[in-house]
Amino acid sequence: MKGLTALLERIGRSVGGIVGALYQAGRDAVETVLRNVLPFMVFISLVIGIINASGIGDFIAETLSPLASSAIGLIILTVIVALPVLSPLLGPGAVIAQIIGTLLGSEIARGNIPPQYSLPALFAINPQVGCDFIPVGLALGEAEPETVEVGVPAVLFSRMITGPIATVIAYFASFGLYSGD
Amino acid sequence: MDALARLAESFIGLFQEGADFFVALLTGIIPLLLVLLTFVNALIRFIGPERIDRFAVFAARPGIAFLPLRYLVLPVLAVFFLTNPMAYTMGRFLPERYKPAFYDSAVSFVHPPLGIFPHVNPGELFVYAGIAAGLTRLDLPLGDLAIRYLLVGLVVILIRGIVTEAITAIMMGRRTGAGSSEETTEGARA
Repeated sequence: MKGLTALLERIGRSVGGIVGALYQAGRDAVETVLRNVLPFMVFISLVIGIINASGIGDFIAETLSPLASSAIGLIILTVIVALPVLSPLLGPGAVIAQIIGTLLGSEIARGNIPPQYSLPALFAINPQVGCDFIPVGLALGEAEPETVEVGVPAVLFSRMITGPIATVIAYFASFGLYSGD
Repeated sequence: MDALARLAESFIGLFQEGADFFVALLTGIIPLLLVLLTFVNALIRFIGPERIDRFAVFAARPGIAFLPLRYLVLPVLAVFFLTNPMAYTMGRFLPERYKPAFYDSAVSFVHPPLGIFPHVNPGELFVYAGIAAGLTRLDLPLGDLAIRYLLVGLVVILIRGIVTEAITAIMMGRRTGAGSSEETTEGARA
């Protein structure tokens, strides 16, 4: 009888632990969505709504679509965004990348950009990723101040090279994407 | 009066367009995101993120053979388990000369998994979801794009790590040798 109680208690405890962890995971998920995802969704809806309804969208579409629907155009876009002067400015919160991404998305939906360009476009709008955050990121890795001094320009210059390379790789990797139908 | 009414209507219309877009995002993205986030959060809780500390010590060893460990496996594990921005703390296990390259590699991986593992960076989901939303409206499946984004991302972070490590080495060498005034041109040439 005593052994049975102990067993039941063990089962109860471990099940409780698992359920508790899952429940906490759900709570964390809801909090993440409320804090980080929904506010940005509302913000981007407002921006996209105004852009589309006011006609600015057509202007942007005319300038952005030709750039985003050829390999050369995407590489040009990458090089511009990866410029060491611009990249730290375009980085924060990836806001610019997210807005341009959503605009490109609506152009894909309208048929102005072929769907297979979605993959290289994902890299073309994002060679500046983290360029605003290099000192903080290095500090999180407990880097010495001398390392930060060298590291910031090193990463920025590296992006000038690896940004276009990434877009080119993505372009070649997009062969066969959405072309079957 | 008529003109005023029309003005009011077009004013509201400006935001109605945004509201429609919001509803499409809300129903299209949030339910799956919530369930997926819950699953991955629980998974990370069961595995325990402290386990990759040991791996980081192992991956920090010098040598060309460890390049894929440093700039591929370690950033992937760090980003998956610790997510943005805590993933960069893994840099503390690396020697100084590898830290910028590791950061470059890790930070470049906070978007490519978003199609499959949005938990790594839910606040910047729209880098991927913005473009993906366009494909959804064309009734195209997203799986192919999501997996290719992830795979190309893996190749790119390895390249970034190697290139940035080389540039860092050159710049650190020059710094100890000559003055720091020439740095800009040297870095650009590299």
